[in-house]
Amino acid sequence: MLTIIVRAIIIYLIVLFLYRLMGKRQLGEMQPFELVLTLIIADLATIPMAEISVPVLHGVVPLLTLVLVHFILTVLCKVSTKFSRFVSGKPVIVVNPEGVDYKAIKNLNLSIDDIMEAIRGAGYFKLEQVQYAIMETNGKMSVYPKSEFSPVTNGDMNIKAEKSCLPINLISEGKIIKENLKIANLNENYIMKLLNKANIKKVKDCLILTIDKGGTVFVQAFEGKYQTFKVEPLGQVQE
Amino acid sequence: MTKFMWFQLISIFFVLAVLVLICVFEDRLVTNSLENVADYVYQIETAIEENDGIRNSKVENLVDNLEYDWFNDESNLCFLVNHKSIQEIGIEIIKLKTYIEEDDIREFSISLELIKLYSEQYFHFMGASFHNIL
Repeated sequence: MLTIIVRAIIIYLIVLFLYRLMGKRQLGEMQPFELVLTLIIADLATIPMAEISVPVLHGVVPLLTLVLVHFILTVLCKVSTKFSRFVSGKPVIVVNPEGVDYKAIKNLNLSIDDIMEAIRGAGYFKLEQVQYAIMETNGKMSVYPKSEFSPVTNGDMNIKAEKSCLPINLISEGKIIKENLKIANLNENYIMKLLNKANIKKVKDCLILTIDKGGTVFVQAFEGKYQTFKVEPLGQVQE
Repeated sequence: MTKFMWFQLISIFFVLAVLVLICVFEDRLVTNSLENVADYVYQIETAIEENDGIRNSKVENLVDNLEYDWFNDESNLCFLVNHKSIQEIGIEIIKLKTYIEEDDIREFSISLELIKLYSEQYFHFMGASFHNIL
């Protein structure tokens, strides 16, 4: 059993390293060759893990080889558009202003039901609402609605909206994130001021504290409801 | 180049180096250990002819050395192949020692021939060749 435990740890660490090496795209939008790689890796990793008679190297060497090939393919795809199209295919317009392109959906081995499902997934329930629907190389459908059905934006209504900005997390689970404190150009005294304003006495009692560039603070203690309030925008804070 | 790209590039070169090292290690280990076995078999055959029999110190020493070297190499070969696939040579070497005690030259010769055959077979399935690739 000890052998299996050690083997499982070795294989796990190698697979973790390989997935890290391949980038985060693996987890979400997979191209056909990436999907193939993921399936093979999963299969290869389990064989030497559970089968003692198979040397670990029999699992590790193909895994490393596949990642090497994957890296070369990725580089070639970046260098050559033609090669990228050969490996991953190209986006195909399946719905155009004239309606569904039956030839295109037949080439993709899709049915009308698949198209309708993908369009519903994009938030549109009628085909006449769609100007273009494009089947992307990763298998996802991008839908571009007709102008009369597209959502109204602030720009359409000439509304001046505040610029949205990402909040910076200053406290997480009772601990100050010093890196973010530096980014926000704040110090611990200022954090204490914010906590006092929210009636939280110690940093360790605070579950989360975020602040955005506009000065909107979100704070919540481990026990109790969250609070939001406005302070001076970041950059104008007087220490 | 971003930090991640550097990480990727260095890791890929590392992976490539590991693969090359494993291939070189495999090739040298397989070739050396099997050639060593064949060499011992040849020396034993010569010693039998020279001494006219198998119950003599020269043959005994050669078989002992063959046993020692093979079991050392076998443990390293187990990194590359399943132990069960390469255990026949070890079994035949143990038989050789029994045949020396019994002074059974006929069975001894058969075992020697089998060791030669197995070492050739192992080389066929462990060595790098077009047949193995396909």
